[in-house]
Amino acid sequence: MSASAAGPAAPGIVCAFAVTRTPPDPAGLAAVRGHEEGGPLRVLRADGGLCLIVQDVPAALFDEEALTERLNRPADLERCARAHHRGVEAAAGRGPVVPLPMATLYRGDLTAARAVAARRPVLETLLDRLRDRTEWAVKVHAAGTAPEAPGDDGAGAPTGSCDGGRAYLSRVSARRREQRGARGQALAEAEAVDTALRRHAVAATRHRPQSERLTGHRTPQLLNAAYLVEDARRADFTAALARLTAGAPHPAVRVEASGPWIPYSFARWDEDPHAGPGQEALS
Amino acid sequence: MTDLEHRYPGPGTEPYGPPSGSLADLLERVLDKGIVIAGDIKIDLLDIELLTIRLRLFIASVDTAKKAGIDWWETDPALSSRAARDALAEENARLRERLDALEGAAGETTGAVR
Repeated sequence: MSASAAGPAAPGIVCAFAVTRTPPDPAGLAAVRGHEEGGPLRVLRADGGLCLIVQDVPAALFDEEALTERLNRPADLERCARAHHRGVEAAAGRGPVVPLPMATLYRGDLTAARAVAARRPVLETLLDRLRDRTEWAVKVHAAGTAPEAPGDDGAGAPTGSCDGGRAYLSRVSARRREQRGARGQALAEAEAVDTALRRHAVAATRHRPQSERLTGHRTPQLLNAAYLVEDARRADFTAALARLTAGAPHPAVRVEASGPWIPYSFARWDEDPHAGPGQEALS
Repeated sequence: MTDLEHRYPGPGTEPYGPPSGSLADLLERVLDKGIVIAGDIKIDLLDIELLTIRLRLFIASVDTAKKAGIDWWETDPALSSRAARDALAEENARLRERLDALEGAAGETTGAVR
């Protein structure tokens, strides 16, 4: 199916990327590609000076069934996520934005503008809060320096005698104690990393730690944090980050970071803006 | 690891986000709210008309994410309607079993009394 099959005459869906008070200039916006299947990005003005960055997308590809199918294909999911991010980035050229969740869809400009107008106070609060601030992602993994000595188990297996069995069991429990101790140490260091970084951040929140399958690391992820950092204090924050990574003051953990991000993790407009993501309070 | 995926740009420097940022990091951010939607708890959508679309959409993408190893909500009934369904079905089966056993026992008792 080609995108032109659902041309302007066909019922369209409006895909929204972000809300902003400072829309990018149309020429710059036109140069950005949103979803491959849709039209050019454009600015949709709502009441009170709020603008949405939107794109017309063909209903045939963005209705429930089509999207469900497409987003279940990892390659399409990635394409969609990256397209969404491009749209949000394009919106952020001139000032703060409230990024919307991926695949925020409306039946038309009118409902889109109305939805924004209905949430104006929350959106405005968020825009004020996110101005001149960026998000930094920090992940802390256990360093995994203590090798498990994989051959150990077999070699030290019970030989059949009572003594051998007891020695084996005590070796096993000693190793368990050691591992628990190492994990406790790593967790404490992860907390220390968090404390050090919070000092330079306006707000912090946590995502669930990612699984080892996803991270590709062989050691567990202990901390998956996001920090909201004031532009004026960014140098302090990154210096602290550099100390934690290069300086390695915490030998039991490894620290990785990426940023600056558009503050996705602090742009929740569906709850108290000061609470951060829902998981924060629970974990 | 001691790598920092960023270049420490000065204040005001664009662009945002590591261009080669990991997909996991990105999905975590663009789907974060989706997960809440999948949770069926705090649904506050921009457009109520498309509620079902987004609800199902994110459950679908949650499945995909699960394939990629992001699987924690599957077992949390509060966050996964499927897990909730499974939990309910399981509890239901357990209760039926108990009821059957109780009824059986009650039948035997009445039989014995008579």
